[in-house]
Amino acid sequence: MKRAIMNSPRFFMAMALALFGLATLSVPAAQALTCSVTPDTIPITFSYHGAQLAITGQSASTDDLVVTITSEPVDTALKNYEKVGGLVWMKKGSLEFKDAPRVYLLSSTADLSRILDAAELNRNLLGFDALRGHIRIEDSKGNPADGKWFDEYLKFKKEENVYDMREGAIVRQHGEKGNTYKVDVAWPYQAPPGIYTVNVVAVRNGKVVERASANIEVKSTGLVAALSKMAFDQAGLYGVMAVIVALLAGLGVGAIFKKGGGSH
Amino acid sequence: MYMYLPIALTSVNYLVVMGLGLAVGLLSGLFGVGGGFLMTPLLMMVGIPPTIAAATDANQIVAASASGTISHWRLGNVDFKMGLFLLIGGFVGGAAGVQVIKILRATGGADFLIKMTYVVMLGGVGSFMFVESLNAMRKTRKASATAASAADPREKKGGFFASLPMQTYFEKSGVTHSALVPLFLGTFVGVLAAIMGVGGGFLMVPVMIYMLRMPMHVVVGTSLFQILFTCIEVTYLQAYSNHTVDFILAIILLVGSVFGAQIGTVLGRKLHGDQLKILLSIIVLAVTVKIVLELVMEPAILLSYAGGH
Repeated sequence: MKRAIMNSPRFFMAMALALFGLATLSVPAAQALTCSVTPDTIPITFSYHGAQLAITGQSASTDDLVVTITSEPVDTALKNYEKVGGLVWMKKGSLEFKDAPRVYLLSSTADLSRILDAAELNRNLLGFDALRGHIRIEDSKGNPADGKWFDEYLKFKKEENVYDMREGAIVRQHGEKGNTYKVDVAWPYQAPPGIYTVNVVAVRNGKVVERASANIEVKSTGLVAALSKMAFDQAGLYGVMAVIVALLAGLGVGAIFKKGGGSH
Repeated sequence: MYMYLPIALTSVNYLVVMGLGLAVGLLSGLFGVGGGFLMTPLLMMVGIPPTIAAATDANQIVAASASGTISHWRLGNVDFKMGLFLLIGGFVGGAAGVQVIKILRATGGADFLIKMTYVVMLGGVGSFMFVESLNAMRKTRKASATAASAADPREKKGGFFASLPMQTYFEKSGVTHSALVPLFLGTFVGVLAAIMGVGGGFLMVPVMIYMLRMPMHVVVGTSLFQILFTCIEVTYLQAYSNHTVDFILAIILLVGSVFGAQIGTVLGRKLHGDQLKILLSIIVLAVTVKIVLELVMEPAILLSYAGGH
């Protein structure tokens, strides 16, 4: 009985339909959003002066894309200038920027405001305006601070090259390998060592429909790592070493000058 | 051209930093000042966080002042006895100053007072030295024109200072003072330097010239000797307690500054004491004007890392 059903033309028809259906469904799967970053490890040596990253992947040809590179959110304390006595500008108080990523580098295929509405941008934390709503700013007494300080924070971070938005920077390619995208990002040397996340979202009809991510590890190596470890773990020895090397250098050069007969 | 700094966590053009070291080291060998009041803001301009700039500067001053002290010592320009008394006073004053600043900070509004004191001190000392050395230079010219040598005003001694106990002859400087005088003056400068967060060379040099009546060239050598010990202490404490000394940055700076200090010493020998004083006063006044402008003009970004002057 079972065998008879499997041999029947109806069964074949049903199988063919099922396979066709699967194939149809798997069209987006073939175009599924992917993300990879090269290099995914950035070693910090003495000659380190930032790095050039290439973020690549596949995506559906009609989707818009937004790529962000961020760190885990942290609380950052900064001094703020205020006018004192109506005359002079001084570092007066301290402001805490809560839940702020150390790095926020965004690239997209088009202007963010054209591809997503404000609510969707906020929900997905895309763009500086979304960060404005997300980062909480408190003064030293824990009171919420004026919104103008977010603008100053943004200026401060942009100056350090760790916050940036490049709308329209992602390049699309349609070829034998399918629909691919690529964006080159100049990794700032000012970003501290740590693990950073590359997130890419695909946007269709004003909604985020797909996501993919990859990690970048920035870490000190060799003597850079050894020195920074020593400065914290063996601070006393580090201090003595710093003093002795400076003394020897000073006295040594003094001696060289004497030999050269330059001083008298 | 670029070098990554493991503690400052940033990359700098080492030729630029070496150049800064050379320039500030030159001033150090020439005038006997550490140059922290110039170096810390310059390092901040190349992207070094303020706390690391100040601590690492102390580290490089160890090298520059060691280099300067040894060459001034060979020229017979270091009064070790005077330097030692000033140093003891400086240590006591520094420790007291740190306590004073804690109390001042607790009362609030102290930063404004400190900054104003700093500006007034810099401006006052600079103006006084400028006017005094200008007058002295005019007098010297007049004296040489009439070929008459006036009595050295340094020989005049105040009645109060002379009446103090522990009168000591300082051979190198050619002056007699109570040992209490350099001890007290060292303490006074130490307190002010700790409150203002600076090394105090720009205060110590005028104190030695005008209050201890030491000859300018001995002032430079002795000041460097004293700064050497102060900066050894500061470097160690900053490295130990705050982890703010960037050893690599210090090395790049000191490569420049040790040579700068040597050039400064050689150059200093070619200049008259009053010429040195007037040059130093011009630099101090220029720094005062820069600080005043910074205070009055609105900063481009109203946020900053903590620390620095």
